[in-house]
Amino acid sequence: MMNLVCVGSAAPEVAVDGIEPTCDRPRVIAFIRDWSAERERGDDIAMMRAELRGLGAELLVLSQDTSWSFGPDDHIEKLGCDLAPAIARLADRFGVAAGGEAVFVIDHENIVRFVHRASAPLPRLVDALAAANEAMLTTRRENAVLFTRREWNITALVTGFAFVFLSACRAREKPQAPSPAPAPAPSAAEITIELHINGKTRALRVDPRTSLLDALREQLGLTGTKKGCDMGQCGACTVLANGERVLSCLTLAVMAQNKKLVTIEGLAQGETLHPMQQAFITHDGLQCGYCTPGQILSAVALLAEGHATTDAEVRTQMSGNLCRCGAQPNIVAAIQAVRRGGGR
Amino acid sequence: MKPFTYVRAEREERAIEITKNGGAQVIAGGTTLVDLMRIGVMQPTTVVDITGLPLDTIETLPDGGLRIGALARNQTVAYHAAVVQRFPVLSEAILAGASPQIRNMATTAGNLLQRTRCAYFRDGVSQCNKRAPGSGCAALDGYNRMHAVLGTSEQCIATHPSDMCVALAALDAVVHVRGAAARRAIRFADLHALPGKTPHIEHALAPDELITHVEVPASAFAARSHYVKVRDRSEFAFALASAAVAVALKGKTITEARIALGGVATKPWRALEAEAALVGKPAAPAAFQRAADLALAGAKPRAHNAFKIELARRVVVRALTEVVGGQR
Repeated sequence: MMNLVCVGSAAPEVAVDGIEPTCDRPRVIAFIRDWSAERERGDDIAMMRAELRGLGAELLVLSQDTSWSFGPDDHIEKLGCDLAPAIARLADRFGVAAGGEAVFVIDHENIVRFVHRASAPLPRLVDALAAANEAMLTTRRENAVLFTRREWNITALVTGFAFVFLSACRAREKPQAPSPAPAPAPSAAEITIELHINGKTRALRVDPRTSLLDALREQLGLTGTKKGCDMGQCGACTVLANGERVLSCLTLAVMAQNKKLVTIEGLAQGETLHPMQQAFITHDGLQCGYCTPGQILSAVALLAEGHATTDAEVRTQMSGNLCRCGAQPNIVAAIQAVRRGGGR
Repeated sequence: MKPFTYVRAEREERAIEITKNGGAQVIAGGTTLVDLMRIGVMQPTTVVDITGLPLDTIETLPDGGLRIGALARNQTVAYHAAVVQRFPVLSEAILAGASPQIRNMATTAGNLLQRTRCAYFRDGVSQCNKRAPGSGCAALDGYNRMHAVLGTSEQCIATHPSDMCVALAALDAVVHVRGAAARRAIRFADLHALPGKTPHIEHALAPDELITHVEVPASAFAARSHYVKVRDRSEFAFALASAAVAVALKGKTITEARIALGGVATKPWRALEAEAALVGKPAAPAAFQRAADLALAGAKPRAHNAFKIELARRVVVRALTEVVGGQR
């Protein structure tokens, strides 16, 4: 008899002989017939590693020939070869039929937050994210399992990345987003707003208290913008509004509606980095990287403002962005390189 | 953050009407209000967004004065050509405050009405007569290194945090407000209230009065004006002591002088006696030192902020020295 593993239930034990989780939750367990990290596009792998790192989640891909563990610490491990018995035991625990495909998302409290069994078509990553966000906005209260936005979004993102694997090994079916639940009556407290971000218009429902920073990170999945102090003192949350640098932590999302917003995700042109992004790499303008998105956006605005020429002036004009790793000399060098037109 | 109703006012009358209700707060830049709402120190039930009002212009007046809209942003004012050239102390003071990001957001009127940075006011739990009238003042015998030595009372020693206001005080600015019934003009010196026995009353505006603009009059001294600020780090910190000074000279003799202090007082602080003492004197170190002594004559230190008195004197001397062309 199959185990009943459904949303809201406690997750089965994952550790079996040969498969040991590398971290405590959250984690994604993906049962896939045929997949190998070695055949995947390097870009996709890099993106997944970055996201898993940000989410602190582990991804376990259990495939026929090889199985993979993607740790939240950037570590990718190809698990041992003779894993068929271990995978079979896990499949039984999770109620996955022999040769079947499924994805489970397990949250930090070991509760199953998402189950996808392979009978439905698998959407692409972006579709999965959009559908998950849409579902988050419309069904949150009605859901028997109450999610916070943060939990739901982590679920959505982790799930989305799991889909990348699945779609890579699946014969092409026409993508189709899951149908959203019926919209609930509008809540008096929430407001529907539109934000113009990185050239796209995004509609969302927010409590008026929601900062632009939280809307970007928690609702729109744009986690490149960082929350440092959340009180206007560190600059990690800097974004551009109509080309001007502002602090998204002290901006109410509802008041950002009529502005053209640019976040770190919107700087590159396709695969080509913005000159300032490239200069930060070239000049090693970071250590831990947490303040970097804010530093880069602030630096882009600094050059547009045109009030800084000397190193001292650059430092003054960058005073709203703190870096406690001590990368300031290299940040100044990066900005000066772009200002002088080299960019590299 | 406590829940609030968000209203966007498309007309001044609407904003005034809503703010008649005591629980409402106007929001523009949000750099003070969002912060204080998040830490629970301010808990408005209604937040009125006035950023759609056409109050963001900076005009030069026929007589050479300036008319700065309530919503003109700090950064815009600081780099406005007329401000830089004819009212340099205003530009310097604004640029000495906050960070480019915050100056891009913060508005002129918001800067005028910003709240103190006193840690006991902000922590939400300490005794604070500003936040919770009658509860006492934890700063009096607490860690009061950042606190005021001028304009204090036994109920409050919190400093006014603005740099821009110090310059506007020196420049004899006039604040124009609009209420439900009438418009009126408030001399800058009368805008901010001394704490006295009512530290929670910080300014002369009625709840439903809206600042529309600030006028900075033309003067003989505005062009020769300067701001000096000393702080714990070279940028993005509140003043330990600052001075906005302006002088008119005839030859080497001072014919008019303005001195305002920041970082040491409970409101933007005009040193009227010091100004008077400079008039008719040669612009020289002796006169500057005498002015500085007079400016701080009434200072009352607490346990940790006595250093501010000598620091402020030196800031005054340095600002006056630099503004008359001495060594910077």
